[in-house]
Amino acid sequence: MDKILIPRGLQRTSFWNFLLWIIPWIALLSLGIYAIYLCLAEGLFHTNMDNRFAFGIWIFLDLTVIALGAGAFFTGFLLYILHRKELKAVINSAVVIGLICYSGAILVLAVDVGQPMRAWFTFWHPNTHSMLTEVTFCLTCYLIVLLIEYVPIVLKNRQLRQIPKFLVFEFELHKLMPVLAGIGTFLSFFHQGSLGGLFGVLRGRPFAFREELGIWPSTFFLFVISAAAAGPSFIMLTTLLVEKITQKKLVKPEVYKFLGKVSGTMLIGYVLLKSIDTLIWINSTSPGNGFPAFEFYATQSFGSWILFTEIVILGLIPALILLSSRLRENRKLLFGAGFLVCSGIMLNRFVMTIQTLALPTLPFDDFLTYSPSWEEVATFLFVIAYGMLLYSFTFRYATLFPQERELSLLNGELSSQEFVESSKQKSSWQPKFILNLINKFASSKL
Amino acid sequence: MFPWVYEFHWTAFHITFLTIFFLIFAAVVATVILAVRRTQRAEQLHTMESIQWHSDFEDLSPTARICRHELSGNVQHRMCDQGFDCRSCLVHPLLVAKQTKTPMLQFEVHGFTMPPHRLYHRGHMWVQQENDGTYKVGIDDFGTRIIGKPYSVELPPVGSRLSVNGKGMLVKRSDANIRILSPIDGEVIEHGDSEKGWYLKVKADNPENVMTHLLKGDEVPNWITREMDRLQISFATSGVGATLADGGELVSDFHRHYPKADWDGILGQMFLEA
Repeated sequence: MDKILIPRGLQRTSFWNFLLWIIPWIALLSLGIYAIYLCLAEGLFHTNMDNRFAFGIWIFLDLTVIALGAGAFFTGFLLYILHRKELKAVINSAVVIGLICYSGAILVLAVDVGQPMRAWFTFWHPNTHSMLTEVTFCLTCYLIVLLIEYVPIVLKNRQLRQIPKFLVFEFELHKLMPVLAGIGTFLSFFHQGSLGGLFGVLRGRPFAFREELGIWPSTFFLFVISAAAAGPSFIMLTTLLVEKITQKKLVKPEVYKFLGKVSGTMLIGYVLLKSIDTLIWINSTSPGNGFPAFEFYATQSFGSWILFTEIVILGLIPALILLSSRLRENRKLLFGAGFLVCSGIMLNRFVMTIQTLALPTLPFDDFLTYSPSWEEVATFLFVIAYGMLLYSFTFRYATLFPQERELSLLNGELSSQEFVESSKQKSSWQPKFILNLINKFASSKL
Repeated sequence: MFPWVYEFHWTAFHITFLTIFFLIFAAVVATVILAVRRTQRAEQLHTMESIQWHSDFEDLSPTARICRHELSGNVQHRMCDQGFDCRSCLVHPLLVAKQTKTPMLQFEVHGFTMPPHRLYHRGHMWVQQENDGTYKVGIDDFGTRIIGKPYSVELPPVGSRLSVNGKGMLVKRSDANIRILSPIDGEVIEHGDSEKGWYLKVKADNPENVMTHLLKGDEVPNWITREMDRLQISFATSGVGATLADGGELVSDFHRHYPKADWDGILGQMFLEA
């Protein structure tokens, strides 16, 4: 039905199967739209947040998706600036994931602020003393960059590329991608960092407060490095997920291994710095602010096991797996480690937002509990549904994985190089295959 | 914040922050404007077809982009990075100088009629010099057999211009439209039809340089062998599965015998269209 829109030579499921796939996501999207409407039209009382517990599931989602979306900038940096050509196989997918993550985060922020019609205030009357101003500026600019990077992917659609101007514009824009990748890297570095930098001013929350190194707190650097570690792992996992769902080979194994290696390298650096930072916090920062660090872990639900899980189980262990070329050969270990890395960053962002606000900081404070309202959960699910839909449509109607055609040609059995070698070895090719084909057809007719 | 609005102060922090922000914003806008300007210039300079081809070429599978010198055995392995236009390739003349192979004398290659006095383009077009100095251009036997019987062919009108790797013909079938690449630059002075055959007669722009990028001699049988490999593998994705090839010839109009194959994809692969 929609075959003329599907890239030539790529196999996609039937239109009706695709429809069945997207209907549940559209239902979820609709629920999310209703929840967003309630929050915006009637007010934020629909959420379970209040003046004391202002960081809820939304801010956790924002910090997490922005970190996971870092794969877009980091892959772009490695491909266009450091010329790691193997990443060409996943760059389109990384851009789409980045776009989904950033646009989703900004949308949720707009709901979280509760006054989206006044969003322009942040540009016109910004609080120049707030790191979030820098975050707002960088996020907005980077979203524009991601939209521009998304344009060539769309313009290469089979029907759109028939319009010469579109294809030439795509070609010319693609040639300028290193400029956009450089800008994206700069912007991402600062907004990822500034989200972490926020904890440099949270003096009233000694659990999260960190001393400054120069003008930035240690969390500035930890947020940048952890995002750069999780981004490649998230691309690896999403690509695997798409492979499993579509039952197609989309990238060569070397690409996965390279992403794993990059992720592992960044992660080991992060684990090292995080460990040093934690030791300094336990021995100096926290006691200096009047709290022995282990008091924060006295609450049973947020015991010290969280710290151990974050640094060792979801940090050190996957880093060691990903750094070993022998272990990376094992697909289960490779993807298992990638999953741990992504879980690790989610846990870290959870700790820095939800746990930070839940812990008492004054003698008369109680341990605060918070559970999101259905509207908050539905808004969260809206972003997931929106992401699934945008990715599904882009996967169906554009070329997200340039190696897919080649891998499908080789029926997933031979790599391109093996194929070239094997075809070179054939001294004289005689196409009996075609005869077999015709005979098969003729006999079936009989 | 901005110099003309509320809260702006002439401090180093404000000035630095705004300078960086404006520079980034200007760079993003300039990048888009530059791409638009280049697109307009390509339109004015009539280079859009060439750019379209380069875009298609980048999307070809590595097996389709093998250098002609690998086909002729001059080099072990080499990928073309010039869009099959050897005229702009710096390596091509060096490899030609090293060439010691004898010219092709075969008329048939794997059952295909490939006259040795013709030259061949990688997009399955042949070029033949006529006595009057013009060039005749047509679809080669391999291409003709895999296309089968089209329901219409759009040829460029007499007087129109062709450019190497630009659109030469448009062949329409019920299940696919195939653009066939032009093998030479020049002006169309005559064309055929369904009775006389689908050919173009072209007055070349630069007759001295018209043949450099076309396949000839013993490049042709090796190229056809590779094309058969590619065809077989293209079929494999149509649910037939790859089989070992050890004999036989391609029948003419064989697509009729296998209507359920993804002909659109197969023809796109074979005629170098993404």
